[in-house]
Amino acid sequence: MESKSCPARCAGCVHFRNDAAYLERYFRGLNSLSSAHGSVRGDDGICLRHDRYLSARASCSEFRSRNRL
Amino acid sequence: MKLNFKLLNGSSAMSNVDSEFPRESTVAPQLRWRELWLKEDWWAIWLGLGIILVAYLFFANGSSIKWLAVTPSKWSTLAQLGAHFSANFARYIAQFVVWLAVFTVALTALGYKVREFIPSFALLYILSVLIIALGQWDKASTYNLEPPLVALVVGLLLSNVVGLPRWLDTGFRVEFYIKTGIVLLGATLPFTLIIWAGPVAILQASIISIVTFQVIYWVGLRIGLDRRLCATLGAGGAVCGVSAAIAIAGAVGAKKDAAPIAITVVIVWAIAMIFVLPFVAAAFHLHAGVGGAWIGTSEFADAAGFAAAQTYGNLASHGTVAGTSDQAVFAYTLMKVVGRDVWIGIWAFILAIIATTQWERTETGRKPEAAEIWWRFPKFIIGFLVASLIVTLVTTGYSLGDYNHSVVPALVGPIKDMRTWAFIFCFLSIGLTTRFGELARAGRKPFLAFSAGAIVNVIIGFILSAIVFATHWETLAR
Repeated sequence: MESKSCPARCAGCVHFRNDAAYLERYFRGLNSLSSAHGSVRGDDGICLRHDRYLSARASCSEFRSRNRL
Repeated sequence: MKLNFKLLNGSSAMSNVDSEFPRESTVAPQLRWRELWLKEDWWAIWLGLGIILVAYLFFANGSSIKWLAVTPSKWSTLAQLGAHFSANFARYIAQFVVWLAVFTVALTALGYKVREFIPSFALLYILSVLIIALGQWDKASTYNLEPPLVALVVGLLLSNVVGLPRWLDTGFRVEFYIKTGIVLLGATLPFTLIIWAGPVAILQASIISIVTFQVIYWVGLRIGLDRRLCATLGAGGAVCGVSAAIAIAGAVGAKKDAAPIAITVVIVWAIAMIFVLPFVAAAFHLHAGVGGAWIGTSEFADAAGFAAAQTYGNLASHGTVAGTSDQAVFAYTLMKVVGRDVWIGIWAFILAIIATTQWERTETGRKPEAAEIWWRFPKFIIGFLVASLIVTLVTTGYSLGDYNHSVVPALVGPIKDMRTWAFIFCFLSIGLTTRFGELARAGRKPFLAFSAGAIVNVIIGFILSAIVFATHWETLAR
């Protein structure tokens, strides 16, 4: 759901983690037969708020901008 | 080897990882055009096409890169092997420096530390020299000392029994090496062959991928697994292993534990299949092309499949099975890369639509975008196709005799030798980065669902490769 009331995307959210090194550290074994640097991953990452792995283009009402920190 | 699937507790793992990364370094910059230097697919293209371009420039000027593309030659006594290394020491040093330089540029751009990469790659290169040399022993085939399998076993022993510091992983980049190798492989595969054999590969791979996905998904649902986990597992078994699993996990917004579960299951199955498939295919006396096609439909990850296909090709080289080494590798490549990998973006797009319109509405979400097909497209395949097209075009004017007499030894042969190095770096890295004790616990149900699909996959793949399309694969590149 791309909420109209909340256009901000996960890429800019304080709860979101999608750095490749971070993901390879968290998803143990990912670099064994794949990689977090591959095109197929796109810019997906982990949402610490909802415990989901999702696209950086996702959004939700609990968005908190990184820029406010 | 003890297969200890230790539970990597989600929350504690997260807090441990979080403590290692400053908050500002946990979000990657938005890609857009920066993908050209921030994704390893593109770096594999730059490196692979760069090597091919340099090889062609040397060839066009009456020379060759074969001095640089040195590999251990056949030997029967240690004295012969020692004499080879003594005579070619400078060539190995030069090759090591070139590989080190190009990989350092790429991995630095991807964010790795040079001071970690250099010792790591030095270890990888020395082990690779030893393993390729062992494979050139005239008794190697007698003891089944196929380099891909030896590399895998050595790597697994070092990482699981001896133990290596984690920072060494910087140089063990499985996917980067296999993608670079695949781009180089494109230069040895005529484009006309891709056009001729590609449609059958796509047809066969599509049938198997769709059936395998449905079986894993259906069995998973029946035994109570979450839909998104079922889709993640299904893609892992049906498309391209771990890479497909994480792509689909992201596309459908799976729980964060889904990807680690899929990673564990795929790794266990894929590594087992590396050892099983070549020897089962040999037991059935499958032609090299047929065996390659079967491995292409039955293996889950590109890197693991190349290890199995290269092993089967080596069996053909030794005369154990009919056909040639190239036929096994070409058939595998067409089936896996052209037939299966290219569709991952479409799988992701379709499943994203289903997830957001049919499944339960979740806390987070997004509107699926068709552009996702391109975003997730495994770009290294573009390099593979371009490499094939370039070499096919520049060699079009040669007769078969001239091609075999001058083009193969001066252009295609050295590129193939460089590919051999890239592949062995990859095979070793699989073992060196697979630490069974650190994998997340998959659980019985995900393993059961995936295994059901894997078994169906192997059976249908065998029927299509060895019976329905057998003639097609036997005549490939004859």
